[in-house]
Amino acid sequence: MDLITGILSTAFLAGGVLALAALGEVLAERVGVVNLGVEGLMALGAITGIATVVAYPSPTLGFLAALGVGFLFGCLFALATVTWRANQILCGLALTLIGTGLAATVGKAYSGTPSPAVFGRVEIPLLVDIPVIGRAFFAQNVLVYLIFIILPVGLHLLMFRTRHGLNLRAVGENPAAADAAGIAVQRIRFWYVAAGAALAAGAGAYLTLAFVPSWSEGVVAGRGWIAVALVIFAGYRPLNAVLAALLFGVITALGFVGQARNWPIAPAFLSMLPYLGTIGFIIVPVIAWHRMRQWMAAPAALGEPYFRDVR
Amino acid sequence: MSYRLQRLPSAHPGIAVLARLVAIVLALVIAGIALAFTGARPLALGVQVISSTFGSSFGLEDLGLLVTPLIFTGLAVALTQRIGIWNIGAEGQFYLGAFFATWLGTSIAGAPLPLMLVALFLAGALGGALWILIPTLARAYADVNELITTLLLNFVATLLVYYVSTGPWRDAKSNMLASTARIRYEVPEFWGIVHWGFPVAVLMALGVAALLAYTRWGYEVRIAGANPQAARYAGMPVRRRIIVVMLLSGAIAGVAGMFEVAGTVHRLQGGISNNFGYLGIMVAVLARGSALAVIPAAAMMAVILNAGIILQTQGITTSTVLAITGLVLFFTAIGDEAAHYRLVRTGAQPA
Repeated sequence: MDLITGILSTAFLAGGVLALAALGEVLAERVGVVNLGVEGLMALGAITGIATVVAYPSPTLGFLAALGVGFLFGCLFALATVTWRANQILCGLALTLIGTGLAATVGKAYSGTPSPAVFGRVEIPLLVDIPVIGRAFFAQNVLVYLIFIILPVGLHLLMFRTRHGLNLRAVGENPAAADAAGIAVQRIRFWYVAAGAALAAGAGAYLTLAFVPSWSEGVVAGRGWIAVALVIFAGYRPLNAVLAALLFGVITALGFVGQARNWPIAPAFLSMLPYLGTIGFIIVPVIAWHRMRQWMAAPAALGEPYFRDVR
Repeated sequence: MSYRLQRLPSAHPGIAVLARLVAIVLALVIAGIALAFTGARPLALGVQVISSTFGSSFGLEDLGLLVTPLIFTGLAVALTQRIGIWNIGAEGQFYLGAFFATWLGTSIAGAPLPLMLVALFLAGALGGALWILIPTLARAYADVNELITTLLLNFVATLLVYYVSTGPWRDAKSNMLASTARIRYEVPEFWGIVHWGFPVAVLMALGVAALLAYTRWGYEVRIAGANPQAARYAGMPVRRRIIVVMLLSGAIAGVAGMFEVAGTVHRLQGGISNNFGYLGIMVAVLARGSALAVIPAAAMMAVILNAGIILQTQGITTSTVLAITGLVLFFTAIGDEAAHYRLVRTGAQPA
């Protein structure tokens, strides 16, 4: 019983990073922009978070600062890919390089220092006493509640239950039709891409302020790429993105348990689990259920810049 | 009299080159200003980079060693781009090619060199192709997004190579932490320290370009990439073309890994891929998916990489160099798009 609670608890903690980054990517991809800069944005958020709390010991401020930095870089990315319509894949890869490189350069001074202020655990009264689940989910840091409940539900309602949500999905599916219907295609794309980038950087701050919690050069370790993968696995839906991240968290937690209990498998192979698991998760459902293919389809205009005067 | 911007469907080649040059200069100026703030002397560094790269045959030989894997990986990515597929997994395929070549090269002793070189080449190609097999089948038969499956396998390949080079295959004699023993066979040198991988890479790029441009197979690949529905309607075996293109792409990336082991490093090491797989994506994008343009694009990337290595000797860290590389690519992407526009006069005659 304790084992399951432990695994779930780690799963929520580890999955939170991916969930937040994946939610950000859902925002960008739903309006038709692929942002492959998540990995770099997370690195920037991670260093911003720790640099802020070193200067002023408030994790909340650190998280907000990371959101701000992410938003700023998101605006630059949107300026290039939305306003100036440059190649999204190339700009995203460039953003990953810039973010990773810049964060590591600035981060030299902070390398190895544990974060002086982290998000503490908040126990929700009554709910924490639910067997198994209670201690696993309702005794986490405050960001976990934000990431697993408030944000996904809020985004789901916004996307699928409001007119604005319909508009933003239309922008990702068929920008020309959306434009003809009077929707400000470029403006919606710009701000959602910037907001998505802010969440990605927030995920980085979550790493250094709640999960790890310290800065080192490879702290992001491919999580940005996994987040991009989860978005596809989740069929570009916020609620599913969070569930996918949780599933991923469970696999990561299993690897931890394996290392802690000295399973006779080399650590390198346990570290492969999350990646192999994700590949399995993407491939198996589409083979098992044919109809999943349509359901998991990407926004039709994903990756394509919109030109009003060019067909 | 007023002016407006008009977008052309394809950029004029001259303008495209100019836009790229402007973009690179702009990125370097911004990086230089940022470096100046941290106390470095950007102009002196720039002169240092240029004189060390082009001032001696040693610099050019280093460039040759860097450009070889970049042509292979860039070609691997560019080839799949032609059929509308993203192979982001060249990094992993590179590792597997290196892995297979090392396995063969360390386990067989005393075979004649020419025979072994052919065997190593095939082993590298096989390793790369095997590593892309699952993403290929998933893409061809279940429409599973290959971008992600190929990418995730990179992490697995990195872990695998790290595991064997620190564990079972670790060289007990040397003090290197993550390195296997020296392999028994070497690709001979072609010019200075540049091995025969370089001409093979160039020939392979030319070969793929010819295959795409002049054969029926290449034509079908291009049509399948431009409009899969139309290709299917015309009776082209799109699925078969996808499978062959992806496996070939993996094989090419695997050959890059094989040459890196057998020609340059002579051992399998933890970080042997040196990001060549990821840089190959940029080479392919810079070349806009043209197999021929991969050669100059890889050369440009090699200059940037080499500049990075020189800067490291001048006290600029790898991460700073990484950020500068990113900046150059970011501006290049914007410049590429900007080259599509021209200023037209309006108002003189009614539209």
